[in-house]
Amino acid sequence: MATKAGNWQSYQRVLLPPVKDLHKLSIYGDYAALRSVLTHNSPREVTDIVKRSGLKGRGGAGFPTGLKWSFMPPVDPAVPRYLCCNGDESEPGTFKDRQLMEYNPHQMLEGILIANYAISAKACYLYIRGEFADWITLIETELAKAYEANLVGKNIMGLGFSSDIIVHKGAGAYICGEETSLMESLEGKRAYPRIKPPFPAQSGIWGYPTTINNADTLACVPLIIERGADWFASIGAPTHPGPILYGISGHVNRPGVYEYPSGMLITDLLAVAGGMRGGKKLKAVVPGGASVPVLRADMIEGVTMDADSLHKAGSMLGTAGMLFLDEDTDMVAFLRRVARFYHHESCGQCTPCREGTGWIENLVTRIDEGQGNTRDLDLLLELCDQMEGRTVCALADAAAWPVRNTINRFRADFEAKCRQSVWAAQSAAA
Amino acid sequence: MPSVTIDGRKYEFEGRPGLLQFCLDHGIEVPHFCYHPSMSVPANCRQCLVDVGAPVRNRATGELERSDSGEPVIRYFPKLQTSCSHTLADGQVIHTKRTSEKVGRAQQDTLEFLLINHPLDCPICDQAGMCPLQIQAYKYGPEGSRFEFRKTHKPKKVKLGPRVVLDAERCINCTRCTRFTDEISKSHQLTIIERSVRNYPMTPPGVTFDEPYSMNVIDLCPVGALTSADFRFQARIWEMSSTPSITTTNAKGSNCYYWVRDNLVLRITPRENPAVNAYWLPDEDRLAYRRFNEDRPTGPSVRMDGALKETSWEAAYGRAAEILAAAGSGTVFLASARATVEDNYLLMELAHLTGGTVAGYLPHVEPGHGDGWLRTDARVPNGEGCRRLGLQPVDTASLVAQIEAGAVRALYVLEDDPVAACVIDLAALAAVPVILHYYNTTNKTLAAADVALPAATVAETIGTYVNEEGRAQCVRPAKAIRGAHRTLMMRMGLSRADQHGTPFDRWHNESHLINCKPSWEILPAVASAAGHALDFAGPRQIMDHIARALPAFGGANHKAMGPMGFKLPEA
Repeated sequence: MATKAGNWQSYQRVLLPPVKDLHKLSIYGDYAALRSVLTHNSPREVTDIVKRSGLKGRGGAGFPTGLKWSFMPPVDPAVPRYLCCNGDESEPGTFKDRQLMEYNPHQMLEGILIANYAISAKACYLYIRGEFADWITLIETELAKAYEANLVGKNIMGLGFSSDIIVHKGAGAYICGEETSLMESLEGKRAYPRIKPPFPAQSGIWGYPTTINNADTLACVPLIIERGADWFASIGAPTHPGPILYGISGHVNRPGVYEYPSGMLITDLLAVAGGMRGGKKLKAVVPGGASVPVLRADMIEGVTMDADSLHKAGSMLGTAGMLFLDEDTDMVAFLRRVARFYHHESCGQCTPCREGTGWIENLVTRIDEGQGNTRDLDLLLELCDQMEGRTVCALADAAAWPVRNTINRFRADFEAKCRQSVWAAQSAAA
Repeated sequence: MPSVTIDGRKYEFEGRPGLLQFCLDHGIEVPHFCYHPSMSVPANCRQCLVDVGAPVRNRATGELERSDSGEPVIRYFPKLQTSCSHTLADGQVIHTKRTSEKVGRAQQDTLEFLLINHPLDCPICDQAGMCPLQIQAYKYGPEGSRFEFRKTHKPKKVKLGPRVVLDAERCINCTRCTRFTDEISKSHQLTIIERSVRNYPMTPPGVTFDEPYSMNVIDLCPVGALTSADFRFQARIWEMSSTPSITTTNAKGSNCYYWVRDNLVLRITPRENPAVNAYWLPDEDRLAYRRFNEDRPTGPSVRMDGALKETSWEAAYGRAAEILAAAGSGTVFLASARATVEDNYLLMELAHLTGGTVAGYLPHVEPGHGDGWLRTDARVPNGEGCRRLGLQPVDTASLVAQIEAGAVRALYVLEDDPVAACVIDLAALAAVPVILHYYNTTNKTLAAADVALPAATVAETIGTYVNEEGRAQCVRPAKAIRGAHRTLMMRMGLSRADQHGTPFDRWHNESHLINCKPSWEILPAVASAAGHALDFAGPRQIMDHIARALPAFGGANHKAMGPMGFKLPEA
C-alpha cells in the first residue's frame, strides 16, 4: 500500500527538531523568518505565501490558513484587530501543542508575529489551557526575553512593525478550545460558544475582527517563510501538506508525539510507535482525537493520515491524536469513558447537548454495568440524531459521533454485553 | 418589497426582521423559551427550530436560478435553523411545524430533552397554568418519556435575594434571568454556574440578588425556577383574576395586572406597554399589593368624646357637612397626588361651593429615589394630574402659619397623610376640625381626624392618573368593596372576563370586602349633606367634563385612554 508521506524514513523533523535546549531564545535564534518578512514582504504577500503552501489548520477542522487570513476585512486604523492563538489543547488523545510549548515555543511565537504582520494585528492573545502551568511559565519567561531582545513589542528589530503577545491562562474547560467560546472566555465571560455568523473575522474578540489559529498551525508559518511555500507543499499528502505531530497513545509500545509528514499510513505509524503492546492484535483506531469516528482494525488497511483518505475510510483527521486499542479492549467501557467526558464538558448552553450528553452517559453506563438492554442501543442512536446539527457549536456533534460510530462498528460488543445483562438472565429464567 | 414564503403563504417585510418575531407578529405560533424581544438572542433552548431555504443564485451572473417552470430554485439549509437568530432575506422559504414533519420532530425532540431533568412537579409549582414549558410540552412535546434514570438533583428553595427564590431543578437554562441582569438592569447580580446538566443561575460569591428590579426575572422565567418569596405557594393561577391597571407607587404609572383571589390582591405583575414601562416593573411597585389587603378601615367614623367611633356613612357625611358649614370660608382643602384626577376635581368643586380654599397638594418628592427608569423621585402617582388641574404643591410654611394663626377653621384632607409627611404636626391640628379620606389605618393624620372616611384605593376605584410624562391612564376596579355600586359593578363585570377570570373564585369571604367608597362618591355626598349640588353620574362623566373645561386635558376621556393610556397635550 502506498503511503503519501514519501521517503518518510529519512524525514528530518522541523517542528520538534532534535536540538538540545531549543526552548531557549539563545539556541532558537533571532527570528530570522520574521526579520525576512518585515524586510521584504508586504502583509498581502505573506498571506499569499501561506496560501500557496497549502497549510491547513491543525486544530481539527483543517481549514486553509492563508484563506482564513484573507477573510479579515480591510484595515481601518480606527478598528483594532486581533490574532488569537489557540493553545487550549483539550481534545482527549491530543497532546501535540504541549510538546511544542515545551520544546520549541519560539517557533510558535515567531509564527504568531508573522501572522500578526500578515493580518495587520497589533496584538495576539495566546490562550493556553491552565493545566499547562509549567509551560505557561516557560513561555512567559521566554516571551519576556523576546521582548528584551526587541523581537516582540514596539518597533520590532527597528523595522517599524509593532506587535504584542499576551499570554492568557485557561481555567480548565474543554469548550474553551472552541474558537468563539475561547473568545468569550478571554473577555472574562462564561465560555458559551457564539452563534455564527458573524464569524470571528467580522466580529471576534470584543467584537473586533479576529483571526484564530491553532498553536501548531502558527508554528508551521516560520518554516514556510524560511524554506518556501513549495517546500512545504511538497511534504506529505498534496491536499493536506506539511509536517504533522502525531500524538500516539493507547496500547502501543512507545506512545508519544511523533513528527512525520502528513499522509502517513496508519500502519506505518503503529510500527514507528513500536507496534501493539505485548504483541496483541489491534482492535480499533481513533485517528484524530476522541470525537472522531473510531475505525475498526480491518478498516485501516491502506488508510493514510490525511483528510481525504480518512474521510473515505469513514473517519476524520481531527487533531491527529491517535488512539490505538488492542483486542482486549472493551469498546463499551471505552465509549462509557468518552461519553462521561462529553457529559462533563458540555457547557450546558444548548438543550440537546446539555441533556443529551448526560442521557447518553446514563445509557452507556447502564449497558457497561450489565443492566442494559439491546433497545438501549437504538435509543442511543436516536439520541445522536436528536443532538447532531441542532446546537450552536459542534460539541454535540463531537459527542454524538463516537457514540454512533462505536455502536455501529462494534455492535457485537454492545449486544454481547446486553445479552449478559440481568434482564437477559431474567427473561431466560422465565 | 422583499417577501418570504412561510408555510406556503407569502408575506412582505421591511428592514431586516428576525424570523421568530416576524412569525409571532403574524400570528404564526413557533414554540420558544429563551427568546425575549427586548434582550439579546442566545438561541440556546433550540426549541424554535424551523426549516429554511434560500433561492439559489448563479455565482457568475448573480441571477436567480429558475426551474423549468420558472420558479426560483430553493436550496434548504443543511441544518434546521433557530428562527430566533435567523434574519429574513428576500425570497426565503420557511417551513414551521405546520408544514414540515421534520420541524415537528425536531421540536418534539428538544422538548423531550427539556423534560428529562425537569422535576415535573407542576401540581405544586407556582408557574403551573401559565407556564410556557407546560403549555408547549402539551402542544409540541412527545407523548411520554424514554428517560429511565434518576433526574439530576440541584439546589431547591435557594433564596437568591430578599424577594426571589430559586428552584434550580426546574431551571431550563434559558439565561433570560442572567441576560436581564446583564443587559436590562445591568446589576450583573446573576450568572450561570456549573456545566452541562448541573448548571443553574446563581449570584456570584458574596452577592445578594437585591437590585430594585429583581422580581422581573420571575416573570421572565419560562418555568417555575424563579419564584416570588411573597407569592410562592399562595394561589393557583387559574383561581385568580387579573385586572389590567397601573401601579401608583411612583409617578411613572407603570402598567400592571392586579391578581386577585377571594377579593385579596395577591400579586402585581407588569403589563406590556412600550410607551411606559415596556415589559418591566420595579420591585417597589410589586410589593405595594399588601396595602390593598392589610390595615384597611372597617367603616366611616367620627370623633366623639375625643375618640373615633364607627358610624354610618350618612352620619359621617352629616358631621362633615356641619364642620364645613361652621368653618365656612375658613376651610382649607388639601388635594392629593395620590387621588385620581376626577377626585381632585370634585374636591376643587366642593371648595368652590363652600367658599373654602384649596391649599394645593403634597408632592411627596424624595430626591435621589428616582433612577431615570421606572422609579421616580415623586413617590405618588398623580402630581402631574394635580398640576394640570391648576393645583400647586402646597406651601407648607404658609399653611402651618395659617393653622397656628387660627385662620384655618377646618381642614379637608383628600387621600393623603400630611402628619406622616411631616408637613403639619398633630399638636397643631388639635384645635382644627379635620375631615380625612384615607386608605389604611396606618394613616397618622387619623389621630387628628374628626371625620374619617375610608376611601377606595386604585385597586377598587375608577379614575384617571397622569404620569410624569403627561400620559393619562384610566384604572378600573380589580377587587370589590362592601356595598353595591352600579358604576363600579359595571366595570367590575369587565374585570371578571379578564385573562384568567375564573368560576372558581366565589368571592365568598365577606371579611375581605372593605367598607370604603371611592372619593368620587364621598365628595358629592358630603356636598349634598351640606346643601350643595355636585352631581355627576360617575368618573367617566367627570373626566369628560374636565376635558371640555381644561385644555391641559384636551381630548382625554376614559375611552381614549383605553388600556395603554392617552398622551395629553403639552401643558
